[in-house]
Amino acid sequence: MQPVPLFRARLASAPANGHVAFIPQIRKLVFEYCNDWPSSANTRTFLQRELIPFARDNPHVEIVVKQRNRKEPVVRGYYVNGRDKVIALNKLEVTGIQKKLQLLLDASGLKIKPLKRRTVESTTEAARGIWSGLHAERPQL
Amino acid sequence: MLAATSSTIRCSLRRFIHSGSASPPSTSAALELIRSQPSRYIVATLGGRKHILTPRDLLTVPRIRDVKVGDVVALSAIHELGSREYTLRGNPTIPASTGVSVHATVVEHTKGAMEFILKKKRRKGYQKLIQHKQPFTRLRIGDIEFSSELDSTTVHSQA
Repeated sequence: MQPVPLFRARLASAPANGHVAFIPQIRKLVFEYCNDWPSSANTRTFLQRELIPFARDNPHVEIVVKQRNRKEPVVRGYYVNGRDKVIALNKLEVTGIQKKLQLLLDASGLKIKPLKRRTVESTTEAARGIWSGLHAERPQL
Repeated sequence: MLAATSSTIRCSLRRFIHSGSASPPSTSAALELIRSQPSRYIVATLGGRKHILTPRDLLTVPRIRDVKVGDVVALSAIHELGSREYTLRGNPTIPASTGVSVHATVVEHTKGAMEFILKKKRRKGYQKLIQHKQPFTRLRIGDIEFSSELDSTTVHSQA
């Protein structure tokens, strides 16, 4: 009896984040702000008042604050798949900044694509099997 | 989706390939027949629509506002549990007392691509361009769990 060959590619598993264990896809948030310009005023208020409770509520995210003078305020979210999302904060109020941060936390790093038709994405084979005309019963009229 | 409604269960199993039909005496016998096959699926209502779901697949529904990313939700409206040759159908849903339960993990809240909708009335000088991103929630379906009570003790097993 020949032993069944073990193909190395078959040993890899398809990713299914959330099936048994869920890993949050956001890993780092970098806040860039200017110390002087008024476009960063709301961002500065947020960083002074709300950032530490926000960081405490989300311990899985690494949070970095960078001062970038004479530049517009920005938040960059880095994700586990290597992509990043950049959101400008210069026209937002503090509550608007909180909403954008919630958007970054909720997202995975996937590229935005049309989702209306993409309802079920499955790698499992069909449980009922695939119909084959050569193997089905011939219909009787 | 989350409302509890009283529902009955019809233990109607049909073997599609072989002739005749199987009418098992009880729900647990029906579940035993389904468990004997290699893989199974469910038909569940989520987001107002029915979907055929198997474990490990990713379901996208319109945004569910009262769940957070990482939460585990139980699907409450399971209409059908089936395998290759057998189907267990509820009327309209399989009640929770049969022990069939499927959980899903909320993986993310996203938005779709930007849609540009042009509204125009001709010869009236009215036109406007609406930009719209539909918010979605994506859920990862977990294993289909059902117990078939052979004795009075409940044996819980993963499928």
